[in-house]
Amino acid sequence: MYRYDEFDHAFVAARVSQFRDQVERRLSGDISEEAFKPLRLMNGVYLQLHAYMLRVAVPYGTLNSRQMRKLGHIARIYDRGYGHFTTRQNIQFNWPALSDIPAILEELAEVEMHAIQTSGNCIRNVTADHFAGAAADEVADPRPYAEILRQWSSVHPEFSYLPRKFKIAVTAAERDRAAIQVHDIGLQLKKDAQGRLGFAVWIGGGQGRTPLLAKKIKDFLPEADLLSYVTAIMRVYNLHGRRDNKFKARIKILVHETGVEKLTQEIDAEWAQLKDGALKLPEADVAAINAYFAPPELAPRAEGWGELAAWQKSDSGFASWVGRNVAPHRHPDYAMVTISLKPIGGIPGDASADQMDAVARLAQEFGHDQIRVTHEQNLVLPHVALADLEPLYRALLTDGLATANAGLITDIIACPGLDYCALANARSIPVAQEISNRFADPARQADIGDLKIKISGCINACGHHHVGHIGILGVEKKGEELYQISLGGSGDENASIGQITGRGFGPDQITDAIETIVATYLANRTGADEPFIDCYRRIGADPFKAALYGSEAQAA
Amino acid sequence: MTVIWTQTGIVENDPWTQPSAEDGPKLLPLAEALEHAQDNAPFGVVLQPADDVRALAPVLDRLILVALTFPAFSDGRAFSQAMLLRERLGYKAELRAVGTVLLDQIPLMLRTGFDSFAVEHAPTIQRLIDKRLPGIDLHYQPAADAAAQTPGYSWRRTALLNG
Repeated sequence: MYRYDEFDHAFVAARVSQFRDQVERRLSGDISEEAFKPLRLMNGVYLQLHAYMLRVAVPYGTLNSRQMRKLGHIARIYDRGYGHFTTRQNIQFNWPALSDIPAILEELAEVEMHAIQTSGNCIRNVTADHFAGAAADEVADPRPYAEILRQWSSVHPEFSYLPRKFKIAVTAAERDRAAIQVHDIGLQLKKDAQGRLGFAVWIGGGQGRTPLLAKKIKDFLPEADLLSYVTAIMRVYNLHGRRDNKFKARIKILVHETGVEKLTQEIDAEWAQLKDGALKLPEADVAAINAYFAPPELAPRAEGWGELAAWQKSDSGFASWVGRNVAPHRHPDYAMVTISLKPIGGIPGDASADQMDAVARLAQEFGHDQIRVTHEQNLVLPHVALADLEPLYRALLTDGLATANAGLITDIIACPGLDYCALANARSIPVAQEISNRFADPARQADIGDLKIKISGCINACGHHHVGHIGILGVEKKGEELYQISLGGSGDENASIGQITGRGFGPDQITDAIETIVATYLANRTGADEPFIDCYRRIGADPFKAALYGSEAQAA
Repeated sequence: MTVIWTQTGIVENDPWTQPSAEDGPKLLPLAEALEHAQDNAPFGVVLQPADDVRALAPVLDRLILVALTFPAFSDGRAFSQAMLLRERLGYKAELRAVGTVLLDQIPLMLRTGFDSFAVEHAPTIQRLIDKRLPGIDLHYQPAADAAAQTPGYSWRRTALLNG
């Protein structure tokens, strides 16, 4: 992974003292609350319902054990003993005191971490495929490019006061695990016919109150042109994005209102002026950043094949964990392991300080010191030998981290909702917990198969409900919480926005409604090999609406 | 009271902000500036964020001041206008930030090519007088200022903000 040099260390230290000065000026009254708000947001500090919240950047979801231990330490010392991993591969601390935040930032800087641009109307933390660097299907590791973008976008003088927030995601496989089509810019690393690396460029995807899928505006951008092209997009957006209405200020609205062809022409015209300038990436720089991401030396561990088969035969719990949470690595003797942060009835994405320490220890012992955070709010050990899976599983069991539900109905994404968030209209966490409890039976979950439930507590869609196979949106109606259901969403390479089924359900009805949807799927699927999303796409919404609303559906 | 600041300090008797500058140089909005281009006297122009700075190309050689407006500190369009003026059009004369000009945005304005600032906010003026700008001397991107390329990656720059 990337290692800071003197320049990076000095930069982060300067950013911390800059923030300390800003806090002091706010306290002395030299900055108004209005002027201070974007300054604290650009350093990850939110004012939530009950307390300040600090969102720490985990660039492209990559951590080492030292960093994970530091996060555990911060949870223990400055918070209430836990942290919350988010859908943007970051971690949030929910209860820090404002006066402690400069000290927390200094602690983070010790392990090459920060909270820069985890909020605000600027270029946010760049996300990437959580299996990057290990997946068998990637053309190259996308993280070096995410790192270059991270550096280039840090305290960018031209793009720190954009019309609205701006999110960039990078993937390097046909199978899109980074949800690039619902980002402001989505980049797919690929090779051209000559084997040179470059990017397919998508713009204008996003969720929120107007969910839109991104449009592809370039099929192949040479890697050397990455920064000049992204600058051209940003400049056109900064100048022309709407600033009259914050709900229409994302680039997706500019794409929609201008038309993708006209906007692409403007971007290309701007790029023509920039492409041979100072932003051109020298090969040597790309190679130097790539070198930081060189895969670990993976010694042959062929003994794992036989051992794994024997362990699976003798322990059905282990076997089902391997079946759900272990994915093939590009090295045949190794695997990628998903550590579920979705225990039955738990809070999606939460991890205790002890669990963070445990993951750090296990990453060192079995995982070449590498950890990833997924946008589905789980953790990943990307390089584990098959021969180490059984001892790893035993250790995870002890710490409550061996839930075998990756990709299943209880692997729910949920935003913090009204339990924490100042923007929320409804609670998300209790809904996730109740659904998780209802479907707790492992055999039942296995029978239902791949199914993504995503829950947001307001229209801002942090819980990605628009791209859930089943999406749940909490709204407030006449002082009551109400949950709207949408079906058929997907955030992968076959991205789609879910369609609302009809009227919403109260907190005491929503789990029954999910059960009805699941029963309808089970009754209609061609067999266990037809997953929910395929079945939905085949039969459409009507059978689900009929089951949910009965004769009302016909009337509506 | 509005104070004009540049990196050499507070500007006394700024010709553009004198109340009785009848015979001084004129500061015109874009449309009038383009008309004014008929005569040969030097002049200044004040642009709004929606104006296209590229329209100034034909009159650039007679412009002695361009003022770009920040209607609110959070409206960042003038950063891009400044970049286009400096980098694309090659404008070399004074580039002034007007409107809501606050301390924490001034380092970014300096980087994008502004070199003069019309400031009303008293705590901001004090920090400018004290030469205590709250910026960072290390940068991860080229811009329109005189920041030097440093050893290492091509995109890195350094500049001493407070001299």
